[in-house]
Amino acid sequence: MGFYVLSYLCIMVFIGATGYLIYRQINLPLHVRWEIYPVQHEITARTAYGGSYMEKVNWWNDKYENSRINELKYMVPEILFLRGLWKENRSLWWFSFPLHFGLYLMIATFALLLLHACFTLGGFSVGVVSFLLSGLIVAAGWSGLILGSIGSLGMFYRRLTDRSLKDYSSFSDYFNIIFIGLFFISALATCLSGDSFLEGAKAYTFGLLTAGSSRNLYVPGQNVAGFLTIVSASLLVAYIPLTHMSHMFMKYFLYHNVKWDDVPNRRGGQMEAAIKNNLELKPTWQAKHINADGHKSWRDIASSAPKEMK
Amino acid sequence: MNIRLKPSDIAKASDCLCHIDPGELSLLPPPYEDFNQRALTPLKPEKINNIEASLDDTVAIGIPKPATKQEEEALVRQFLSGLKKLFEKENNWTFLQPLMLSMEHCAKCQTCSSACPVFEMSGGKDIYRPIFRAEVLRRIYRKYLKPGGKITAKLNGDIDLNWTTIARLAELSYRCTLCRRCATVCPIGVDNGLINHEIRKLFSQEMGIAPKEIHDKGSVQHLRVGSSTGMTPPAAKDSVEFIQEEMEEITGYKVSIPWDVEGADILLLHNAGEMLAWPENVGAFAIIFQAAGISWTMSSEAAGYDAVNYGLWYDDVQFSRVAVKHADIARKLKVKKIVIGECGHAHKALTVIADRLLTGDLNIPRESAMVTLEDIVMSGRLKFDPLKNNFPVTLHDPCNVVRAMGIVEPQRRILRKIAPQFREMTPHGVDNYCCGGGSGFAIMSGYNFAEWRNLVSSRKKFLQILKAFEGEPPDVPKYVCAPCSNCKGAIRDILHYYHAEERSGLHYGGLVELVVNALAGMKKPIIRFGEKPSWEAK
Repeated sequence: MGFYVLSYLCIMVFIGATGYLIYRQINLPLHVRWEIYPVQHEITARTAYGGSYMEKVNWWNDKYENSRINELKYMVPEILFLRGLWKENRSLWWFSFPLHFGLYLMIATFALLLLHACFTLGGFSVGVVSFLLSGLIVAAGWSGLILGSIGSLGMFYRRLTDRSLKDYSSFSDYFNIIFIGLFFISALATCLSGDSFLEGAKAYTFGLLTAGSSRNLYVPGQNVAGFLTIVSASLLVAYIPLTHMSHMFMKYFLYHNVKWDDVPNRRGGQMEAAIKNNLELKPTWQAKHINADGHKSWRDIASSAPKEMK
Repeated sequence: MNIRLKPSDIAKASDCLCHIDPGELSLLPPPYEDFNQRALTPLKPEKINNIEASLDDTVAIGIPKPATKQEEEALVRQFLSGLKKLFEKENNWTFLQPLMLSMEHCAKCQTCSSACPVFEMSGGKDIYRPIFRAEVLRRIYRKYLKPGGKITAKLNGDIDLNWTTIARLAELSYRCTLCRRCATVCPIGVDNGLINHEIRKLFSQEMGIAPKEIHDKGSVQHLRVGSSTGMTPPAAKDSVEFIQEEMEEITGYKVSIPWDVEGADILLLHNAGEMLAWPENVGAFAIIFQAAGISWTMSSEAAGYDAVNYGLWYDDVQFSRVAVKHADIARKLKVKKIVIGECGHAHKALTVIADRLLTGDLNIPRESAMVTLEDIVMSGRLKFDPLKNNFPVTLHDPCNVVRAMGIVEPQRRILRKIAPQFREMTPHGVDNYCCGGGSGFAIMSGYNFAEWRNLVSSRKKFLQILKAFEGEPPDVPKYVCAPCSNCKGAIRDILHYYHAEERSGLHYGGLVELVVNALAGMKKPIIRFGEKPSWEAK
């Protein structure tokens, strides 16, 4: 039962930490535009070369348009295949891609395991769907573990041997990659040591849904690899949102709220109201020319002259 | 010798953290091999005795050395106070979210380094990596401002904070042109260029430290007398009067530049540097607008005849003051829109960044001159004879117009129509390389900084220009079209520094000059290769 408690706790940490990260982002004040082109939700004709709606005469008379399809056409290969890294840093891609794709396949495997457990709970543990699910679990699981193991070992090697990576790598960078590698390799070892069809994973996931109290319960820790797999997977789930590795999902904000945030401010709109609120904030910058005293607002200061010239 | 430097080395005491020795810079092709062994002229000891100059072989700011240990400690405390403010919405709502995201999610993969022309051209000097200064700031922030930071620093990357660290970091923030090429290539979306921008802000807004060319003589002078050039409103009017006369003399076209026309369709904002250094640009705009029958005006109100906004590069407060001033002038003139002339940073400042600053009747529509010009050129209102521009032309993409605004094609469509020998640089468009004069570098020339710019930050652009004209005989005049004042300044300087007019027949200028040069019916050409402009000859 201790393993299940650990897993539950880790999942709770993941949800709490991720929720906090997202909550913090959506509660930050509206910032100035800092987009960078190409902005991939532009219309097709312009995404081809990185153009913007500002290329049109009197652009403010037109409705602001963006294309979700174009955004997806860019983001899907970027997220799944790390297209940017392939283009700009190919030598790192050979290890980074298997690591990331391995993690995605692990997420997919877990989703399939949950689905399988739900079917089992519903009494559909035999049949075509269950058979199909089991096949998918084996395919996604094995390929994810192999790719992830290659990727994490490769990335660890690169961090150790590439001078430019090594000079910027701290203890935590090595720890992170070893941690991920430990999970992949222990899970791979578990599969190789007599659990080719991921039956242990299926049973453990089933146990997660039933608080470890139903039939088909997996008793963890039957071997060292199994023990390590459950512990490292659980801890990794909790650990990722506490580190820069949260870029796996925080990338959404980096792209949508900064890099591609090209929404223009229109008179009388919601955005203008947010700007007006920002302009009432009271800065305390100390340089003489700012002339801030904690009482004057941004609006006051922006419409005044710098102190040096008074 | 290329000495390996890690972010933590910035704190180590030494006379110079990083030297560039002869032969270390990226190689230039013939006939410029004689520059390959050139290194920066050493700084004169008597000139740098009392200033901080321990980063590399040049100085951009010239921060006075603190007199006592107590003064040093006070400056360190001030730095930390400013750093804290960067993460407070009251002080930094303008960039809080972009900064937080870029501070927290870098994977240190070094993809940004390979995209940086300064790092590449320097021969791979570690301190010029985009991540170097960003990582220094991240480590200081985590260690000195995060709870338990002094313990976690051992795990996350340690750094010592002393006056040396701070003085070098300030200087280092002026070794990046803010071209943001690094941000374009980051697979995660981290913007180490933005972090550099925030470092500059911290120093300016909290400590009053900034290069005099962009603060005292730049934004402060702009707000005080009306222009960063020092031109007062009467002087601006005099300059324009002179330009009108010169245009008639040069081209045979009588032009009249309108001032303060209330209710005009367009308020045209020029970089006032054009009036002094490239008056033909101001004149060419006037010819095009007049010939096309455009309703337009210039403003003679202080700051209204100078589109620059140096605050964009280093100080949000100075930025806001200038942007509000520009918008207010347009509001008072009741114009339909502001058109920004050939000045890249002014484009981005007023059109994009100020967009979330200007509210109500200050939110006046703003448009790039590239777009306005394309509309005129393609409308059929003017007749062209492209053969008048029958010489090799290449286009430089100003980062602030192209990468920061996505205005890529209008200027190209114009060139394809009026310049039969137009060819692209490689790469171009949003993948372009900076001219090396971005973020204020083009106007910074104290100590030996201009030489550093010519040798290091503009080197990639020079190589690109040479490549674009590869195969053309040296005696054929070639035109580098740079529709941005700062870029033009930087390109002017590299062509001069490398004797490129003599060796390769390279000339430079703006876009409007090419448009006017191709106008059918003009009595005389505005572009005359090899001839000194009349205002220089006089």
